Amino acid sequence: MTEDSQRNFRSVYYEKVGFRGVEEKKSLEILLKDDRLDIEKLCTFSQRFPLPSMYRALVWKVLLGILPPHHESHAQVMMYRKEQYSDVLHALKVVRFVNDATPQVEVYLRMYQLESGKLPRNPSFPLKPEDEVFLAIAKAMEEMVEDSVDCYWITRCFVNQLNKYRDSLPQLPKAFEQYLNLEDSRLLSHLKMCSAVSRLPYDLWFKRCFAGCLPESSLQRVWDKVVSGSCKILVFVAVEILLTFKLKVMALNNSEKITKFLENIPQDSSDAIVSKAIDLWHKHCGTPVHSA
Amino acid sequence: MAQQANLGELLSTLDSPVLSERDEVTAIFKENLNADRGPMLVNTLVDYYLETSSQQVLHILTTLQEPHDKHLLDKMNEYVGKAASRLSTLSLLGHAIRLQPPWKHKLSQAPLLPSLLKCLKVDTDVVVLTTGVLVLITMLPMVPQAGKQHLHDFFDIFGRLSSWCLKKPGHVAEIYLVHLHASVYALFHRLYGMYPCNFVSFLRSHYTMKENLETFEEVVKPMMEHVRIHPELVTGSKDLELDPRRWKKLETHDVVIECARISLDPTEASYEDGCSVSHQNSARPPPRAADVTASPHVDPQNSFGSVTSTPHSASRPMSSTPGQPPPPLSSPAPRLSAEAPQAALWSPSLVCGMATPPTSPGNVPPDCAQPYSKAFGASAGGKGTPSGTPATSPPPAPPCHSDDCVHGPCPPPTAPHARKEERTDPARPCLHRQHHLPNDRGLEELPGSKELPLSDLPGFLGGLASEEDSIEKDKEEAAIYKELSEITTADTEPLVPRGGFDSPFYQDSLLGCPRKTPSATAGAQGTSVHPESFNSSLDKLGPDTPKQAFTPIELPCGGPDESPAGSRERQTPPEPRILTPSPFRVPSQRGAGLSSGQPPPYDHLFEVALPKAAHHFVSTKTQELIKKVPGSSEGAWVPSASPLEVLDRLIQQGADAHSKELSRLSLPSKSVDWTHFGDEIRTLRNQLLLLHNQLLYERFKRQQHAVRNRRLLRRVIRAAALEEHNAAMKDQLKLQEKEIQIWKVSLQKERARYSQLQEQRDTMVAQLHSQIRQLQHDREEFYNQSQELQTKLEDCRNMVAELRLELKKANSKVCHTELLLGQVSQKLSNSESVQQQMEFLNRQLLVLGEVNELYLEQLQNKHSDTTKEVEVMKAAYRKELEKHRSYALQQSQRLDTSQRRVLELEAQLAKKDHLLVEQKKYLEDVKLQARGQLQAAESRYEAQKRITQVFELEVLDLYGRLEKDGLLRKLEVERTEAAEAAEERPDCCNNSGSGPVRGHSDAVSGHNGETRPPRPGSTRGGGGSGSVGSGSSGSSSGSSQLSTPEKPPAQRAGPFSSRWETAVGEPSASIPATVGSLPSSKSFLGMKARELFRNKSESQCDEDGVTGSGLSETLKPGVDAGVEAKTPLSPDGPRPAPPSPDSVGQLRIMDYNEAHQEHS
Repeated sequence: MTEDSQRNFRSVYYEKVGFRGVEEKKSLEILLKDDRLDIEKLCTFSQRFPLPSMYRALVWKVLLGILPPHHESHAQVMMYRKEQYSDVLHALKVVRFVNDATPQVEVYLRMYQLESGKLPRNPSFPLKPEDEVFLAIAKAMEEMVEDSVDCYWITRCFVNQLNKYRDSLPQLPKAFEQYLNLEDSRLLSHLKMCSAVSRLPYDLWFKRCFAGCLPESSLQRVWDKVVSGSCKILVFVAVEILLTFKLKVMALNNSEKITKFLENIPQDSSDAIVSKAIDLWHKHCGTPVHSA
Repeated sequence: MAQQANLGELLSTLDSPVLSERDEVTAIFKENLNADRGPMLVNTLVDYYLETSSQQVLHILTTLQEPHDKHLLDKMNEYVGKAASRLSTLSLLGHAIRLQPPWKHKLSQAPLLPSLLKCLKVDTDVVVLTTGVLVLITMLPMVPQAGKQHLHDFFDIFGRLSSWCLKKPGHVAEIYLVHLHASVYALFHRLYGMYPCNFVSFLRSHYTMKENLETFEEVVKPMMEHVRIHPELVTGSKDLELDPRRWKKLETHDVVIECARISLDPTEASYEDGCSVSHQNSARPPPRAADVTASPHVDPQNSFGSVTSTPHSASRPMSSTPGQPPPPLSSPAPRLSAEAPQAALWSPSLVCGMATPPTSPGNVPPDCAQPYSKAFGASAGGKGTPSGTPATSPPPAPPCHSDDCVHGPCPPPTAPHARKEERTDPARPCLHRQHHLPNDRGLEELPGSKELPLSDLPGFLGGLASEEDSIEKDKEEAAIYKELSEITTADTEPLVPRGGFDSPFYQDSLLGCPRKTPSATAGAQGTSVHPESFNSSLDKLGPDTPKQAFTPIELPCGGPDESPAGSRERQTPPEPRILTPSPFRVPSQRGAGLSSGQPPPYDHLFEVALPKAAHHFVSTKTQELIKKVPGSSEGAWVPSASPLEVLDRLIQQGADAHSKELSRLSLPSKSVDWTHFGDEIRTLRNQLLLLHNQLLYERFKRQQHAVRNRRLLRRVIRAAALEEHNAAMKDQLKLQEKEIQIWKVSLQKERARYSQLQEQRDTMVAQLHSQIRQLQHDREEFYNQSQELQTKLEDCRNMVAELRLELKKANSKVCHTELLLGQVSQKLSNSESVQQQMEFLNRQLLVLGEVNELYLEQLQNKHSDTTKEVEVMKAAYRKELEKHRSYALQQSQRLDTSQRRVLELEAQLAKKDHLLVEQKKYLEDVKLQARGQLQAAESRYEAQKRITQVFELEVLDLYGRLEKDGLLRKLEVERTEAAEAAEERPDCCNNSGSGPVRGHSDAVSGHNGETRPPRPGSTRGGGGSGSVGSGSSGSSSGSSQLSTPEKPPAQRAGPFSSRWETAVGEPSASIPATVGSLPSSKSFLGMKARELFRNKSESQCDEDGVTGSGLSETLKPGVDAGVEAKTPLSPDGPRPAPPSPDSVGQLRIMDYNEAHQEHS
């Protein structure tokens, strides 16, 4: 960060006292003031700090390529996006794939299918697993983003982003085991003993990115990292979930029960889990530094 | 066991008559005590003492050291609990306490104290009570802080005993009550002195009760009248006086004196704080106010010698001392002289003067008449003499007098005296009441008792003693009796010849003499003397009436009052006087035929001058005397025993002798009056015991006084030393003052001299000053003169200078004029010569002018052409030079400008470069921006494509359905027209030819939308063929479309319209025509629609182009270009803009078409 040297000298105390994000918000504002937004800087920023919620949608849109880096073209591009959205929606309505009663999430799904050319011949065709993933993510995203156009676009691009990770996703369970072993080998051994390691809800965790597992308020902090290009955070969130519910998990000795429990973890401590997970991530992978 | 046996043996040897042995044993015991810390030995000793009341054991016990005190106290506590041993234990305790052992402070904590108090509260034996009370009174000052816990016990005891004095429960002998009363009075004093507030409040509370009121009136009130208001009552409080801090400052004797101080009894009251002085002066009024009879006592003693004699005479008739009367008469005078000025008493010379005469027997009376203290010898008349002493007289209380008056037989003035003297304790109404009976009885008995020859007395006493022994414990006293009998016999032997009534007294006095002297020498105090006198009187009175037996009782009571008073009043005088009697006594003894006569007339001087030496001297004297007494066995022990011991022993022995005599007497008269004697003997013994106790108590008090006296003496000595010091200081002061005065005188002299010198100096100074002034004046005058002269000189100088200047001026003027003159003359000559020259020159000028004219003419002729040429050339050169110069200038300027230009251009170049870079950047930026937008557009396009696909799919789907329906219908139609079709074969063939083609295309389109290109044609064809209404017209129209130039647009729109039409299901030919005509009309709407269509399906457009006839192939690139040109523009601007190029393109296309058509 170039602003590091000019940062408020009080920032150290802010962090000590627990006001996180006072400085971050400012520096983010500075970043966002640039014409031709520096996407790399934005990436680094969102990896290092939690995004202020008021800028989250904008940053995501920029990072996901929905908006170009130039402020000037934002309006026009957005208009295109909107038109595209309405066209697609219209088309779907014309071909009677959707109507007014169709849930928004499904609308998004159909639109996505249409755009990717995967629209089934008949709406009554059964959904594929990736469609389920899309639905889950769209559902979570719907909570996070108000505007339906934005929501559709972000969801669409987010899913595309996830598809880019497709290569690294299969390695995540291994990494998970490795970090869990580092953090708490006993827990891992317990899991292994219950032969639950292979049956952990990896799909939920890594494919859906915890959509439906964590409440949206905490989830969006995880997704900040995912959007900015790091899917490893998912591993740490998973590790942290296990560490947090260690006692309960240790008490269960059936892999099914463990899986069941992990699929429906209590939501009250999710914020802490995410914070700890991010710390853990920083600890193991180091604080990302802007390379440029 | 062996040890015990050994102990027993030792104990028995303890009282052996051999002195050395006894000392040895005592030493052994002490050693044992030092070595052994156990209680055994002490217990044994106590037991032994209680059995035998051995003096040695007592001595050992009373000097016990620290670790044994507890055992002793415990043991005593044990014995106090038992009624039988109580009395002796109490007396032992009394002995122990009076010596003030170092462990006395432990008494307050010891269980002995409560048990003592309990015993005092419970016991009914007067002897025990009196003893106990005395012990308590003795103990109180030692443990003042114990009062805090036991205060109410003390008060209760006081209350109980005071009521006893009045009520005398049952069998108590009245005689004892007197003792009891005395001790109660002492207790009252002590309590009031020590705890006034508490005590007064107790009195208040206790005697407000009705049943106690009488006691108060009778007993307590008189006591109260004889004490002052205690200062503590005003300043202190109940709690304050119990404060241990208060007592910490005070020692035992301080407490005792403190208590004595509050007494109004002049004898009791302390002398030191001027109380006695005030008593002499002011103590009279109270008694006088209280009783008129009281005053006579005071007055007579001092003023009337006759009065004092009267008591003697009054008492004497009773005591029947015939020889005495005259001396007392003479006594008042000297005594007065001695008493009146106390200071005079102090001077030894006076004492000497008084003492010197004693050799004459006439002096004896005065001496003996004076104080009791020295009246040993006169103790024969002692009965009388004490009565005469003034000290006793003030205290008497009214009841006493009234009682005396009641007594009747005696003359009023004398009787009171006697009685007052007898019971100085005034508050004893009971005593007086009681008095009568014994008195009467005594009177009756008097003769009887008097008839007893003194020689018989020992025997009589012995008898009594033996009798008592039988009743009590004769074994204990056996040894003492023996000794006593020896002594008494030894004493009495010389007295025997005297016989008669007087003899006992004389004998007593003689008896007293040898014993008294040691006592006198030891303490030189009144108390020691007093018991003596009392003893003698006791001895004498023993056989006397009970009434007189009272006196001994009284005496101890009065004694403490009187004797200390006497001794105190003349504290120093007694000493000489104590001595003085000794010479007198010697004569008396001599008179008695005892001593060979050793009248050392100046013995008393020794006493005054060297108290210790005198003491020694006297003691040796007495020893000698005692030794001279034939057959005196006591000689062996007397020197070793202290006088006090001797006194104690004397009393005991007296008692023994008394009892022995009595027993002896009783033996013959046993039958006569056994019970009477036994009773009496017991009472007498008890009385003796009580007296002894009282005596010991008084002695204790005396010791306290002695201690205090020693302290006071130390203070006096210190004061004297300070006085000396003061005097010395005063002397020094005087000397210094004298010196100061001398110095003052010399100072004055010096001052005078100094002033003289000053004056001289002043005059000198004045003279010198005047001289100086004169000289100064002179100097000033001179100064003025010189200044005047100087000014004059200055003036002269100025004058000279002026004159010189004038001279110079004149000279210069002269010179100037001379010079001018010379110049003028020269000028004159010059002008003359110039005139001449001018003339000459004028001439020359004329000549030269002519010559010049000549030359000018010559020159003009010679050089006219050459000069012109040169001038022209010069001018030409000059011009040329100038030209060149300006050219050079121009060149340089041009260079400058060009250089500047170059610089500018370079700068511009840099700028441009920069700009270029910026432009590039911007371009890049814009590119990026455009790319972003393009991407968006592309994605949109992508979406559109997808949408179109979907639509196509949908359309195809619908088509599929429609065709199915069409086929079905066609089949029906064909069936209906089967007959007609048979007639028209070619048509049919044509149809069949196109049929397969259409079927093929259908199949293709069903499979893939991409492979449409052939389809439009086929569809159209299909449409043409499909058109049910006009199959031939459709084909014709198709040909017409190809042929007409307006067709291509129609074709382009055609597919759509046809599709639309097919979708709608209205294959009318008129509508395509209208549609086709639209673009050609070039209306805005038409263009818009076309644009819209193209936008929505560019690919189809392309396909259209391809699918068209052969001409359409050429058309395709154009269309493509058109599309490409359109796509970038379309996002930018509004739709209306494109039409123009589009239309141009279309036009061009149409042209091409036309051209093609033309070409084809």
